[in-house]
Amino acid sequence: MKFFLIIIIYFFSLITSSYAYLDPGSASIILQSILGAIAAVGATIGLYWKKIKNVFFKIFGKKKNN
Amino acid sequence: MNIEFDKGSYRDPAGKIFYYKGRVLRGLNSKGVERFKHIKENNILDESIKQNFLIPTKEVTDLPKINELSEFDLILEHKKIDYITYPYEWCFDQLKDAAIHHLNFQLFLLEKNCVLIDASAYNIQFLNSKPIFIDTLSLSEYKAGSYWTGHKQFCENFLNPLILSSKKGIDFNNWFKGNLEGITTSDLNNILSLKDKLNFSLFFHVFLMDRYEKKALLKPKEISQQVEGKKALSKKSYKGMLLQLKKFILGLSKDKTLSKWSNYSENNSYNSEEEVKKIRIVEDFIKKNKFNYLADLGCNDGLYSFKSLKCGAKKVFGFDSDLNVLNKAYLNSKKNNLNFQPVYMDFTNPSSNLGWDEKERLGLNFRMRFNGMIALALYHHIVIGNNIPMEEAVAWLIRFAPKGIIEFVPKEDDMIKEMTKLKGDIFENYNEERFKFILEKKAKIVGTNKVSSSGRVLYEYSSI
Repeated sequence: MKFFLIIIIYFFSLITSSYAYLDPGSASIILQSILGAIAAVGATIGLYWKKIKNVFFKIFGKKKNN
Repeated sequence: MNIEFDKGSYRDPAGKIFYYKGRVLRGLNSKGVERFKHIKENNILDESIKQNFLIPTKEVTDLPKINELSEFDLILEHKKIDYITYPYEWCFDQLKDAAIHHLNFQLFLLEKNCVLIDASAYNIQFLNSKPIFIDTLSLSEYKAGSYWTGHKQFCENFLNPLILSSKKGIDFNNWFKGNLEGITTSDLNNILSLKDKLNFSLFFHVFLMDRYEKKALLKPKEISQQVEGKKALSKKSYKGMLLQLKKFILGLSKDKTLSKWSNYSENNSYNSEEEVKKIRIVEDFIKKNKFNYLADLGCNDGLYSFKSLKCGAKKVFGFDSDLNVLNKAYLNSKKNNLNFQPVYMDFTNPSSNLGWDEKERLGLNFRMRFNGMIALALYHHIVIGNNIPMEEAVAWLIRFAPKGIIEFVPKEDDMIKEMTKLKGDIFENYNEERFKFILEKKAKIVGTNKVSSSGRVLYEYSSI
């Protein structure tokens, strides 16, 4: 059952035609899939970067205080 | 009923721009109405207008019911732009600001589950030196997982011309005018160096894009299969891509190569006293006439345009063929929030009718309606610099406006001596007497003022 659910989700998440008057171009779509993945990873890292930095500063600060 | 359809409004079949009694209207069919309904009902239209992203737009029902309009289900009216300009007439920072405006608008819309379905630079115009989006039909509902349909167009219309100018020192204007869809990625990639391509944005948006475009030509089936197998693009990724492009474009600047007229305001053949006199005469002329639309031909860095605005001209259009000085004028006007519109114009090869049926993008003569004009230190460049006959140069200049000032520069002036030093003096009949004779035949000479010891004279004319 779980397997079929995954298949259904994957099927619906595949790219569909936007029916736009402008042809987006195949090259642009492939490129966007790569850039989009990089951007998503970047955004996620960005979100956690502050937290990681804070942790480092805390450790560094503690050492300094010691 | 005198309805005129815009010949350039054919790409999107969901609607058409037309003009009626000086009003700018857009007819929408059922597809267009569907898109418009979404942005209206979700308050996106009002918010976009309020935030100065989109041109003020309202629904109208006061048009007579006639056959020509029967195909439309809804008619919109847009605030009229005084003078439409095209991206190939913009300086570097205008195109850069237009690109940032487009991306900011997309980011704003995305938060409201809306997108721009295209990325044409022609959809942006300038009001008070600020970009504004003019195509309401470009706004459409965001479908979860969808890709940015305008990405390729954004690259060709904005990104590639900016890279060309910033990284290679080549002004995009004449290239853009030759190919109205912008600078192709393939063309740009061919002139980028290996070092250029090591930049993240250039590597992906130019180098890799070109590789995939070429692959799509050589192996269309393979690429098609790759596209069909692609997963949906998350909103986070879509937004991330826009932000990355915005950051890259904000970092681009115009190549600092010195141009012919870069320092003209400081290094001209006037002494300071003479220049003060010249400014005063122009200011008096503007104060006397209070023009709604003034054309400053050969505006350089905008000195006289800005003085004219201070003296009562409502809007000034500054034309120049030097993109460096025009860029300086634009940045100044933007900083001071002035009603100044810079327009790139090669005086002997101005924008002509271009595109589909030669009516899609109109030539300069078909768009301009000025009340007044100033042509300071320009006439001799047209005649001596470009060999245009004196009669034709006068006729061309006074066609811009019924009232104006033309500066005549005699052969004794240092500027002309310099111009003819290598070329030689082949202009036997070029003298003030003949200029006056020609101008008198075409217009009434209202006044003359000698403004330099070398014999420069300002001629005020009226052809009314």
